Amino acid sequence: MELSVEALGGLQLCGDSAHVSDKAFIVLVRRVCDNLLKDSTDTSVLDDEGLSNVDRAVLKLCFASLVTLVLEAAKHDSDASTISTILEDCKFTADRIDILNKIFISKKPEIQALLSNIGHTPPHIVDVDWRLDFYLKNNHVDKVNEPVYMVTLKTEEGGQEETKDVQFACSMEQLQDLVGKLKDACKNLEKASQL
Amino acid sequence: MLLLLEDEHKEHLEFLTSVDLEVVKEFCRIAMEFIRKGPNLKVYHTAAQKLDVNAEAVQHVVEGLMYLLTECAKLMISEIDFQDSIMTLGFQEDLKQQLVQFYLENRKEIRAILCKMSMDLPHYHNLEWRLDVQLASRSLRHHITPIVTMKLHTGDCETKEVTVLQTDAVNLLHLTQTLQQALDEMKSSHCRRIVRNINK
Amino acid sequence: MEEVDNIIIHTLKQIGCDLPDSIDSLKKFSTELVVAATVQCLRVIKDKFDISPNLPPGMSAKFRVGTALANACLELGYQGEIGYQTFLYSSETEIRRLLLFLIEKLPRDSAERTDEALGTSALMQRAIATEISRQLKTTWSAPYCKAKGICWRGTKPKLWHREGVIGTRAYHSCSLSVPYGVGDLTKKLHKELKQYYMKELAVITNQPPHKADLPASVLESNATSVTAAQEWENEWNSSGLGSGLSEQDYRLRKQQRLKKKITDQLRQGIQKSEATVAAAATTDLMQTLNTFTDKSASKTKGSRFMHAEKLQFTEDDAKTAVQMGIGEGAPKLDTEEDLQQKREKEVECLREALQGLTSQIEAMEIDMRKYTANTQQMEELILVMDRSVSDKENSYKVMKRTLDLLPDADANIAKLQSVVDSSAQRLVSLANQWEKHRAPLIEQYRQLKELNEGKVSESQKKLEEIKSFREKMKIVADETRSKEDLHKQLISEYERMTKGVNRSAYTRRILEIVSNIKKQKDDIDK
Repeated sequence: MELSVEALGGLQLCGDSAHVSDKAFIVLVRRVCDNLLKDSTDTSVLDDEGLSNVDRAVLKLCFASLVTLVLEAAKHDSDASTISTILEDCKFTADRIDILNKIFISKKPEIQALLSNIGHTPPHIVDVDWRLDFYLKNNHVDKVNEPVYMVTLKTEEGGQEETKDVQFACSMEQLQDLVGKLKDACKNLEKASQL
Repeated sequence: MLLLLEDEHKEHLEFLTSVDLEVVKEFCRIAMEFIRKGPNLKVYHTAAQKLDVNAEAVQHVVEGLMYLLTECAKLMISEIDFQDSIMTLGFQEDLKQQLVQFYLENRKEIRAILCKMSMDLPHYHNLEWRLDVQLASRSLRHHITPIVTMKLHTGDCETKEVTVLQTDAVNLLHLTQTLQQALDEMKSSHCRRIVRNINK
Repeated sequence: MEEVDNIIIHTLKQIGCDLPDSIDSLKKFSTELVVAATVQCLRVIKDKFDISPNLPPGMSAKFRVGTALANACLELGYQGEIGYQTFLYSSETEIRRLLLFLIEKLPRDSAERTDEALGTSALMQRAIATEISRQLKTTWSAPYCKAKGICWRGTKPKLWHREGVIGTRAYHSCSLSVPYGVGDLTKKLHKELKQYYMKELAVITNQPPHKADLPASVLESNATSVTAAQEWENEWNSSGLGSGLSEQDYRLRKQQRLKKKITDQLRQGIQKSEATVAAAATTDLMQTLNTFTDKSASKTKGSRFMHAEKLQFTEDDAKTAVQMGIGEGAPKLDTEEDLQQKREKEVECLREALQGLTSQIEAMEIDMRKYTANTQQMEELILVMDRSVSDKENSYKVMKRTLDLLPDADANIAKLQSVVDSSAQRLVSLANQWEKHRAPLIEQYRQLKELNEGKVSESQKKLEEIKSFREKMKIVADETRSKEDLHKQLISEYERMTKGVNRSAYTRRILEIVSNIKKQKDDIDK
């Protein structure tokens, strides 16, 4: 994990109790994780009472640096020791390092989940509906008499709220073929899990 | 089930009684060609000249045969029912046998042709799959996400469509189980009873 | 025999025998367990061994299984007595012997595989396998039950996996700005800038137009900054250090160079475009000018012509007027012819006079030319004369002086000699003085030169050192990184390893064997 000079400078300020008091530090670290994870930014960091005695410009810089640190650490799946090394270089006290690590490690899975939301994928099947029809006749042919399955795959796509449908019909044989292939895939997954 | 022939139709077909068995065979062949490829007026004319009759009469008899064959095939009329249906035409025994035989020989093909004409929904053709494991992305460097990527081939008689989809292990299991249930449903007593009753 | 049993049981568990925990010695092995253990061992040893590990109920079937197992063991080269009874009516010692034999026959590679240092790829494959099996064990839930397509499981540690992509978003970043240099008290911030940082600048969470773009933007700006720093480092190492400039100067120079390049390019571009435009313009201009000149030429021509005409006319008019005036006084006796004759005569006279005058002028001009040539010659002559005069004057002066000096020749010569000597001495003394000044200066110059050279070589040496240190730094950093990785890997491997009882058991067993051998040796020696 590498941090920019700006971020490191901001972290040094953040570790300096002359700029950010111990109390304010805890509040700030909490706010960083909360602001990242909550969808609605109900209140700005600037309005937080616990941070009212921190210089505004310093607060903005510290906040940005901490966000950078947290996101980069989550991106690289860094553990507490890695973060500690960086923070020691930025002259953090052991207490502050502990506080940050504790909060960060507890939130890490959620932040990583947030980061995993960034990307692009083909439509993802999340559910399936089926209907069984018995095809009797049409205007050209009578007594067709065969079962027809209507299969609807429900898919999700990035950046869209609703699921989309992929619809197709299957005869009995075709569905058997499909299920056979899916079962093959399942079996291979199981095999892969028993390595 | 009997096919009720209309009077005009009967009139047209009566012409068959006046010609040889060989000619009837030829007419049957022409009617079958009609079903396969559509009408051919030239053939009517040459036939009419050979038989020294009106070309219109030939056309009528061919179209009458064609209609008889397709209607019977459409309704999947059995051998006995077919015989009974053409009884009203008052044909001789050998002519009747000839027609029955021709009907039985060609019923399957006619039905296939009719099936092709009928409406078709996008159908499943094939499924290809592969197992991927996403190990890193631009924003997340160390994680493991197994993903099954699939290529679904569907299409009706004209268009072919390929859809690329993906899913995870949990959803794949669910998908497989649900579709297996759908397959099993066909073997349930309820479905079997209905199918039996319909096929009666 | 407890240790041996421990080893056997441990090994059997390792190869996949389902032994209850309560069994800690071979004494407690039931017939079923013996058969199951043997079958399991044989299965591991031989690839295709298809006897069920479960003992069938019927006596004859049991008998058959026992015989088959005994045969298989014999095939492997078992030396002791063996038959169906070994399995069905087992005695502890026989079973122990048999199982020890089988365990020894077990293929080594399964043991070796665990001994092999687990590479990163093996670790990763294991991680993938556990992840898949974890997911396969998860029950399905409807998509609307999951927040953003992510399925959360467990509390400590919280685990998640993706079951949908509803919340995903493409990597889209926008630029972020943060206060710069607020903590540095040594540098004074611009008042307005400070004001801007304090009041106007938004917190970074509010800067991207979409909140979801925040992580991407933060990561991107960090990456950009880090890459820029790396680029700079590389450039500084490769060319900056060698230039001997300070960092600021180097940057300044680079900036200037770039500026110059840009201005040059711009100027060239402008010139090019101007040239093309000008070319077009001049041709146009020429054409227009040409049309103008054509017009004016024709005009002036016309006008000149007209002017001449006019003049003629006016002259004629004047003449006629004069004639008319003359005619007024004199009676109109002269006929037209007389007038003509008179006029011709007059013209003739005038022409002759003119010719005479011009020939005169020409002759005079020729004379003038001759005279000027003469004057030039004369002037040259004068100059030559002057020179000879001054020469002669000089020689005369010398002569006169020598003549003056002649009467007291010796004294004068001595005087002259002294004068010559003194001037020579003065020269020498001057030279000495110069030498005196010069020597220390040269000395100083040499010293300084040497000093300078020393400094140059030293600085070069230092430069080299700095470079090598930087390289070393990098290498050491790389090493630490790789060592850390290895450390982590080894730790995970260590955690993975089963810390069973067998090591102490093995050592004790070995010691026992050693003591046994010693005892036997002693016995033999007796």
